[in-house]
Formats: sequence, structure tokens, C-alpha cells
Amino acid sequence: MTGDIEEVAHRYTLYTAIGAVVIATVWHTGYDLTVTVTGWESFRWPLLAAAAWVAYTAIGAVAALSLLRTFAGPAKARELAVAVLVLDVAVIVSCRPQDLIGPIDWGWGSVGWLGVMLLWNRPRWRAEAIAFLSANAGIMLVAMIATGTVDRVSLAKYLMVIVGSVTLQLGYMVGCHTLRVRAEDAALLARRLAADDAWRESAQRIHADRLRRYEAIREVAESMLKQLADGADPGDSRVRGDCTAGAMRLRRLITEREEVPDELVSALREHIDAAERRQVLVTAPPFGERLPALPDGVREDLLRAPVAALDGARTRARVTVSAMSAMVSVAVVADNDDLPVSPDPVREPSGVVVTYQRQGGEVWVNSIWQGP
Amino acid sequence: MGQQHLAGPVTGPVTVALVEDHQVVVDGVRSWFGTHSQVELVAQGPTIESVRGTPADVLLLDLNLNGTMVIDRVAELCAGGQRVIVFSEHEEPETVRAVLDAGASAFIGKGRATRDSCLETILEVAADRPSMTPPMAQAIATDEGPHRPQLSDKERAALLFWFQSMSKASVAARMGIKERTVRQYIDRARVKYAAAGRPAPTKEKLLICAIQDGLLQPDEVTVYTSLAARTPPDRG
Repeated sequence: MTGDIEEVAHRYTLYTAIGAVVIATVWHTGYDLTVTVTGWESFRWPLLAAAAWVAYTAIGAVAALSLLRTFAGPAKARELAVAVLVLDVAVIVSCRPQDLIGPIDWGWGSVGWLGVMLLWNRPRWRAEAIAFLSANAGIMLVAMIATGTVDRVSLAKYLMVIVGSVTLQLGYMVGCHTLRVRAEDAALLARRLAADDAWRESAQRIHADRLRRYEAIREVAESMLKQLADGADPGDSRVRGDCTAGAMRLRRLITEREEVPDELVSALREHIDAAERRQVLVTAPPFGERLPALPDGVREDLLRAPVAALDGARTRARVTVSAMSAMVSVAVVADNDDLPVSPDPVREPSGVVVTYQRQGGEVWVNSIWQGP
Repeated sequence: MGQQHLAGPVTGPVTVALVEDHQVVVDGVRSWFGTHSQVELVAQGPTIESVRGTPADVLLLDLNLNGTMVIDRVAELCAGGQRVIVFSEHEEPETVRAVLDAGASAFIGKGRATRDSCLETILEVAADRPSMTPPMAQAIATDEGPHRPQLSDKERAALLFWFQSMSKASVAARMGIKERTVRQYIDRARVKYAAAGRPAPTKEKLLICAIQDGLLQPDEVTVYTSLAARTPPDRG
């Protein structure tokens, strides 16, 4: 169940992360590389610009690998983000002051995408992304002030690039996050609807089953009342026995409370019903709330011996189920003369332990499963 | 048994008030008490209010009164020191634990109660002795709540086997111990449960009696330690 949601979340995280990797790669090769090569002569220190490009590529590769493997930025994202800002400064330094706001100064408009990759899907990605992009904008502004590039046109260009790139980078992160959250919500809703359907179906099954048993008990009660009206002797032990059996079945129906059938309880109820149809007096205290999920084969091993005791009960049986989060105990006490009993506990491969005891014409069969 | 208790022992017949809205059950209980000289039904009515004002050693309370569950009234009834025994067909462990936590002295399941077991429980509760009925055994053995008692494996097994088997003798045979030891495990579990749950005047009496009878040591029970601190045995 939780796996579904995690899978949806992972799928959306992965594909949106791949989107960020593609954007950064296209930008870095299509624009950054092009202007570095074509503007080689214009740089003050072209080798520094080239080294920055290579460093950007290396950090980008680390971030992309981490995204594809863990759906999140690398563990040392903060340190790498600082390194990215350093190479941002390197590109600025490699340019002549008059080219600071020109096309060859590719760093400040491009590093934002690397930041997106590094900070992807981290717990505090919003705050970290805003800090990173602000630092990038701040570095560029300081460089402009230091080089005296503060004319109207340069400032307008600065604002346009900063606002444009920050909007795109932050917008992409927020948009993808929203998409993922919505997808998780949708998966959760679908799961709840499916659970509701399953619950409704189970409740209907229980209701139908109860109506069927009420119908059966009504027939028995009608026949009893008719016998009494026709003069059956209430002192007759057979008549009293029938009345007691009917009253017990009614009481059990009234106190049954589970809303979703447990398979173990359902199987037991079938055998209890069958025993009652054979006029066996069955007592079964309410089984309590839902039982723990049982590993394969445990239910069968838990039921086999107690059910055999119940099926062979001559006149009376008591069925009890006790459960904890990692323990289920099923017991039947019955006047069963034919059940072969083992003097020693029987240990099933599933871990269920079955014990038998005979005392005063009754057999007590108890099977217990203890979870890990 | 037969020792003088600190908690005001009941002298003479045990008086019982019954809160039950089904006349057939009232008549049944009355007939159970009819031939027993030690127990006397002194008040009876279909609501809690209808028996209020009549002093009784034990209040026998049906949980479902005219279609309303009165689990949340148990604590209020026990708060004044009234011994309350719940008498109900709602034997689910969760319900049993709820009423025991609220301070009830015992829970008798209508489904399996007999005259003898019912009278035995009433007499034990009136004497502030540990009383353990089958639904209580299951509820305490399967308790996984944060304030559950620290039961030993044998105490827990004895409770569960007793609930699920036919008799204490069969539990003794199953565990390879004496029946007396089975009783001791069960009684100790009851007292530990009382100590672990919410403190109530009736539980305190039970603890005092259990310690007097040597069923357990004061330092085994945290709640009792605070009681013992008020009257240390070596002073005076």
C-alpha cells in the first residue's frame, strides 16, 4: 500500500529531475560552451573560463548521477553549491570589466540550473534554493558595483537576466514539487476509495451472512415455539436443550461485532455454524478486535486441530480466540471422544504449536502462533 | 484467608445492589442468591440512579442499560470506594480492560457465568481479594497498552490457558505445575494489573490485602510502594 505511494512519488521525482538535468545540460553545452569557444579571444583569462566550464560539467555529472540513483541531490550538496558559486566568481574574473554584463560572462545566468540539480528534493530545498540564487545575484551585483558597471542599461539587463533565470529555476522546482505532491494525493485518494469499496463489500457480505443466519435461527425459534404451543413439556431435557442452543446462537449473533471479516474468524464461524446444525451447544465469547496479519500457512496450522475437535464434538464445545499484535491462540474445548491426542506439543513448520489435553470426557486443543 | 484486613472487611452477609434492565436477568440473579445465606440482594433497578442511596458492599452492573453502554460511568461509581462488578455479555478484551482500568473490581461474562462462579466472585470482591474471571484473564493476558502490568511469562500463560481451557486443573497439567501454583499466578496477575492501572480506592484495598496475605511484596508494585510509605511496616 505505502509502496504504491512511494512508487508514484519516486516516478515523479525521477522524471522531473531528469527534466532539470536535460535543461542544465542543454544550457551548458548549447550556450555556455558556445560563448566560451566563440568568445575565447574576448576573455581576459580564457583558460580560467574553460576550467570553470569543465568544473561546472564535473559538478553537474555528480549531481545528475545522484539524482538518477537517489532521486535527490548529492549528500554534499551544500559544499558543492559553494564550489559552484566559486566558479561563478571565476567566470566573472575571467572576463574583462566591459564584458561583465555581456554574452561571454555565462556563469551567473547558468549556475542557477546547477543549483536546482544539487538542491533537488532535499528536506529544506526551498530555503536552500532561495539562498543559493540570492548569493548568485548578490555576487554579480557586487562585481558590477566593483567594476563601476552601474549604468541604466547594465542594471536593466542585470535585472532582466536575474528575474528571468530565478523565475524559471525556482518556478521549475516549485512546479515539480507541486506536481509530485498532487500525484501522491491522487494515489492516496485512490487507495482510500479502494479500501472503502473493500470495506463496503465486506460489510455487505457480513450483513447478508447475518441475515441468512437470523433467517435460520428464526426457523428454529418458530419451530420451538410451535412445539411449546402444541404442548411440548418445558421440563423435558431435550426441549430445554434445544431452547438453550437457540438462545446461545441468538446471543452470539447479537454480540458479534466485527465489521470486516477476518479469514480465521470466518473459517471458525463456518465450523461453529455446522456444529450448531448438528445440535452441538457451542459457546464462543466475542473474538475481540481485528487479529494480526498472519504469515502464509499459519492460519491453516492454527485452525486444523481446533477445528477437528469442534467438528467431532458430540454435544458441546467452547471456542476461544485470543490475540495480541504478534500472538494468536485458538482453542477448542469439546466433548470429542474420537480425536487422537498427542501427549507432547506438536510443532508445525510454520511455528504454530498445538497442545492437546483430555480431562473428564473433554478434550482441550490449543494452537498458538507467536510472531517474531 | 481469614486475616483481619485494613480495608474494612465485610461482616455479615454481603449486600449487593443490582443495576440491570432485563427482568429475566434480575429474576435469575435473585434466584441464584435466594438459597445463599452469605449474599443478599438489597437493591435493584434498571438505572444507576435507581439504586443510588442504598448502601451495598458490591454493585453488580450491567453495561448495556436500555441500549446505552455505561462504560464511562464506572470510574465515577468506583471513585467513592464502591466495589463494582460488571456483569455483561460484552466480553471483548477491550471492553473488559476499559472497565477494569476505570476501577471495577471484577468482570463477570454473562455468556459463561454460573451461579457458583458468580457468587464466588462477589464474595472475593467483597473481601477485597483478587478475583479473576475468564474474560478478565484473557483481557489482562493480551493487554499491550502502555501501562500494562509486568507479568511473568508463566503468569501470562496461566491466564491465557485458564481462559481457553476447561479448568485450572487442566492448566496445571498443561504447565506441569500444581493447581495451587496456577491459582497463585492468576491472583498475582490480577493484583499486578490493579497496581498498573489507574489508581482507584477499590484497587488500593485489593493491593493491601494481597500484600497482607503474602501474595506479593510491596516493592513488586509501584503503586503500593507509595501506600506503604505512609505506613511503613517497621515503624511501631
